[in-house]
Amino acid sequence: MGLFLLRRVGMMILTALCLTVIVFVLTNLRPNLEKLAKTQGNFRMSDEAVASWLERNGYDEAMPLRYGQWLGVVPGWRQETDQGVTGRCLDGTIAPEAAARAPRFCGVLQGDWGFSTVFREEVSTIVAKRLGLTGKLMLWVLALMVPLALIVGVLAGMREGSWLDRGLSSLSIITTATPEYVSGVILIAVFASSSVGLKWFKGTATGAMDHANFENFFLPVLTIALYGMGYIARMTRASMAEVMAAQYIRTARLKGVSFSNVVIKHALRNALIAPFTVIMLQFPWLLNGVVIVETLFNYKGFGWTLVQAAGNNDIDLLLAVSVVSVLVVLTTQLLSDIGYVYLNPRIRIS
Amino acid sequence: MTPITTPRECIHPAARMHAGEYADGKLSRREFLTRVTALGVGVTAAYGLIGELPAQAQTLEGTPRMGGTLRVQMQVKALKDTRSADWSEIACTTRGTCEYLVEYENDGSFRGMLLESWEANEDATEYRLRIRPGIKWHTGEDFTAADVARNIERWCEKNVEGNSMAARVSSLIDPDTGKARDGAIEIVDPMTVVLHTSFPDISIIPGFADYPAAIVHASYDPAKPNELIGTGPYKLTRIDVGLSARLERAADHPWWGTDIYGGPYLDTIEYIDYGTDPSAWLAAIEAEEVDMLYESVGEFIDIMNDIGLVQSEVVTAATLVIRPNQLAEIDGKQPYADKRVRRALSMAVDNAVLLELGYGDRGEIAENHHVCRIHPEYAKLPPLKADPAGARALMEEAGMLDFEHDLISIDDDWRKNTADAVAAQLRDAGIKVKRTVLPGATFWNDWTKYPFSSTNWNHRPLGVQIWALAYRSGEAWNEFGWSNPEFDALLEQALAIADADKRREIVAKGEALIQEEGVTIQPYWRSLYRHMRPGLIGTEMHITFEHHHYKWAWAA
Repeated sequence: MGLFLLRRVGMMILTALCLTVIVFVLTNLRPNLEKLAKTQGNFRMSDEAVASWLERNGYDEAMPLRYGQWLGVVPGWRQETDQGVTGRCLDGTIAPEAAARAPRFCGVLQGDWGFSTVFREEVSTIVAKRLGLTGKLMLWVLALMVPLALIVGVLAGMREGSWLDRGLSSLSIITTATPEYVSGVILIAVFASSSVGLKWFKGTATGAMDHANFENFFLPVLTIALYGMGYIARMTRASMAEVMAAQYIRTARLKGVSFSNVVIKHALRNALIAPFTVIMLQFPWLLNGVVIVETLFNYKGFGWTLVQAAGNNDIDLLLAVSVVSVLVVLTTQLLSDIGYVYLNPRIRIS
Repeated sequence: MTPITTPRECIHPAARMHAGEYADGKLSRREFLTRVTALGVGVTAAYGLIGELPAQAQTLEGTPRMGGTLRVQMQVKALKDTRSADWSEIACTTRGTCEYLVEYENDGSFRGMLLESWEANEDATEYRLRIRPGIKWHTGEDFTAADVARNIERWCEKNVEGNSMAARVSSLIDPDTGKARDGAIEIVDPMTVVLHTSFPDISIIPGFADYPAAIVHASYDPAKPNELIGTGPYKLTRIDVGLSARLERAADHPWWGTDIYGGPYLDTIEYIDYGTDPSAWLAAIEAEEVDMLYESVGEFIDIMNDIGLVQSEVVTAATLVIRPNQLAEIDGKQPYADKRVRRALSMAVDNAVLLELGYGDRGEIAENHHVCRIHPEYAKLPPLKADPAGARALMEEAGMLDFEHDLISIDDDWRKNTADAVAAQLRDAGIKVKRTVLPGATFWNDWTKYPFSSTNWNHRPLGVQIWALAYRSGEAWNEFGWSNPEFDALLEQALAIADADKRREIVAKGEALIQEEGVTIQPYWRSLYRHMRPGLIGTEMHITFEHHHYKWAWAA
C-alpha cells in the first residue's frame, strides 16, 4: 500500500510538471506575450512600445530559463536602470544595495507562486480564495446531487422494466443529455426572468459569493447537479438491476424476506460500489463543469478564474490553476481506488 | 436661477461672432456651446451671449437626499497609470478621487473643474489656465499651478509605453526629446499656467476633459495605481479586479465643489462586475443586485423599458468603423492597398440598412468620414448612395472578385450584428466574405492589425480630434493603415483654425478625401442608453461614458 501511494504521488508530480511545461510554452508564445504587454500597458500600444515593455519586464529571456525561474531552480532575472534594480523576486524598482539582500531564487519550490497580471494580486491568495468559493458551490452540488441520484437510481433499478423505472430512466437521460449551458439558460429564463414572470430565484449568483441563500444560490447548484445526477442515477440503476437479478436475492425472496428488507439489507450495499467510483470520478468533471456555470451565473470561483487567466494570458495564474487541477483530479482518483478496496474485499492493491 | 446680466469681461472675439451665427440660425445650440466653451468662455457666459439660461441638468426629477449607497453594474478593470488608461471604466473608478481640469457636459459644453477658467489667444497658440482657488489635496496641501504643470509634463512623456495623452498634447511636446518642450508650460503665478503650443491647437482643452487626463498627486507611482491621492469627493477604498470596487465619500475632506456645483450626495458607490454579456446585466438588475447599469445595448433596451426601469438617452458622435487595413498582408499581398477594393467595399453597403439591422435604428446615419452633424465643423456633402452593381464591377476591375474577405468583429450585440449586415450586403453584391467573431477577451489584442474588422469609437467633442487620433499618418490608433500626405496637410491646417466656419471649408475637403479613398465604412452615429431603477437623480447617461459621481443621488 505504501509503495502504491508513493507511486501515485510520483505520478502526480510528473503529470503536473508535464502540464505546466505545456501551459508555459503556450502562454509564452510571442503573440501571447504581445497580447499580455497590451493588456498591461495600453491596448492601443505601438509595436515598439510592446517590444520595450517586454524587454523591461523580463519576458525576453529564453523560455527554458524562464520556466526554471518559475520553478525556482534558476535565479530570477534582474535589470539595472537609472532608478535602481528591477526583477523577479524584487518588489518594484529598488536600490542596488537592497536588491543584493533580496533572495536570488523565488519560484514554486520556494513557495512563491508568482503574481497575477490580471488581478494584481499574489497568485496563492487568488487561488485559495477562488477555490474556497468553488468548494462551497461543489459542496452544495454534492449535497443535492448524490442523494437525489442514489434515490432515483435505486428506485429505478429495484424493479427493472416497471413504469417507475421507465419514467425515472427517461428523466435521468434527459438531464444528462442537456448540457449546462442549455439547462442553465432555460432555468434562468423560466425561474428568474420577467419574461415568464415566475421570478422565484435570482438569475445571477454574484451576491451568493458573500451571502449565499436559497434564492440566489439554488439555480447554479441545480444546473450542475441535474447534469451529474442523471449519469450517477443511470450507473446506480444498472448496478442495482444487476444485483437484484443475482441468485442470493432470489433465494432471500424465496425464503420469504419482505421486498423492502431485501432491497435495504441485502441489495443496497453491493449495489453502491459502482456508483461510489462514479461519484469520485465526478470531481474532475465538476471542476470543468463549473467553468460554464460560474461564467453563466457570474459566480467568481475557480472556473471563472481559469477563464479570466486564460483570456488574459495571465501566465503565473494559469500555471497555478493547472497544478491545482492536476492535484484535484489525481487525488480524487487515488481516493476512489483506495475506497474501492474497502468497499469490495475482492480487490487488492499492490 | 438668476438671469445672466454681464458675461465675463474678456470674451474671445470669435465667441461673439458665433453668438451672431447662432442668432442667425447658422449654428445649433450644441455647436455654439462646444465652440465657445473650448475658447475659454464660461458656460453661463456662453448662454448669456445668446440670451438664454443654462439648461437645467435634464434630470430625473426630485430633491436629492444626502447619503445612501448606489450599486452600479460596470466592468472592474485593473487600474493602470492614469495617462495610459484605455477604458472609460478605468477612469470611472478613479474619477471620484482624481479629478479633471475641465469636464465635458452632455450639452456639448466644457466647464471648469480644477480650472476656474481658461482663455485662448486669437490663433489658439497660447492658453492661459486659471486654477480654481481653495482646492486641497486629500493630504491637506494646496492645489497649485505647480501641480497642473507637473501633470501636463507627465502627459507629454511620449516615450512612456501606452501614454495616450501624448497624442492629445502633441503641440506641447518636443519631438526630439519626447518630453515637454522647453517653455511650453509656463507657471506665471501660483494660480496661473500659460501653455504655448508649437502650432495652433484647438483640441487642447477638449483633450484635458478626456478620460486619461486625471490629475494625480506628486507622490503618484504608476507601479502602484491603486494608491490614489486626489482632490475629489470620494476615496477608492477597495478594488478587486473583475469583481467589485467601492468608492466612499471622503468624510474628512471638505470638497471644493459643494458650494459651486452641489453634491456629493451619496455615501458609497459600489461597482460590481457582471462580465461582458448584456443578459447578465439584465439578470443583475432584475435580481436587484444593482441599481443602475453602465450602459444598455441593443434589444435589451426594449426589454428594460418593458420591465419598468427608467431610461436615460443621449445622442452622441459615438460610432463604429468597419474598415480594411491598407497595410495588412494576406498571403504576401496587401489586398486593401488598392483604392478600388476599398471603394467597392463601401459602395456595396447601404448605411441605412446597417443602422436598422445593426443598431435597431437607434441613432443617425453617418457618411463614412467620421465627422458628425453635432461636431461644430461638420460640412454637408452630397448624400452617399449604395451601388452594389458598381461595387462588383470595381472589385472585378481590381481583379479581386475571387478574393474571400475575412470580416472580423468582437462577439457582442450591436458590433457583431452590424458586421453581419455588412457581410450580407457584400455577398448580395457578389463579393465573397467570411465572418470571424472573436471573444471580447482576445479581440483587442490586435485590433489595429486585422485586415478587415470593425472597431467602436467613442464620442469626441471635435471632428478633427478623431481625425488627429486615428486618420493621421503613423498615429498609434490609425487602424486603417492609411497614410496620405494630402490629408495630413489638410488636417494640420484645420487644427490651426479656431473659427469653425473657416475650418469647415478645409474639413469638407478632408471628408471628401476620406470618402474618395474608401478609407472606411462608418455607417451610423449611436445614441447611448442607460437604465436604472426609479428614484435616482443626476445619473443620466453621459455622452462619453463619464461618471460624475458628485451629481448622483437618491431622491428624497
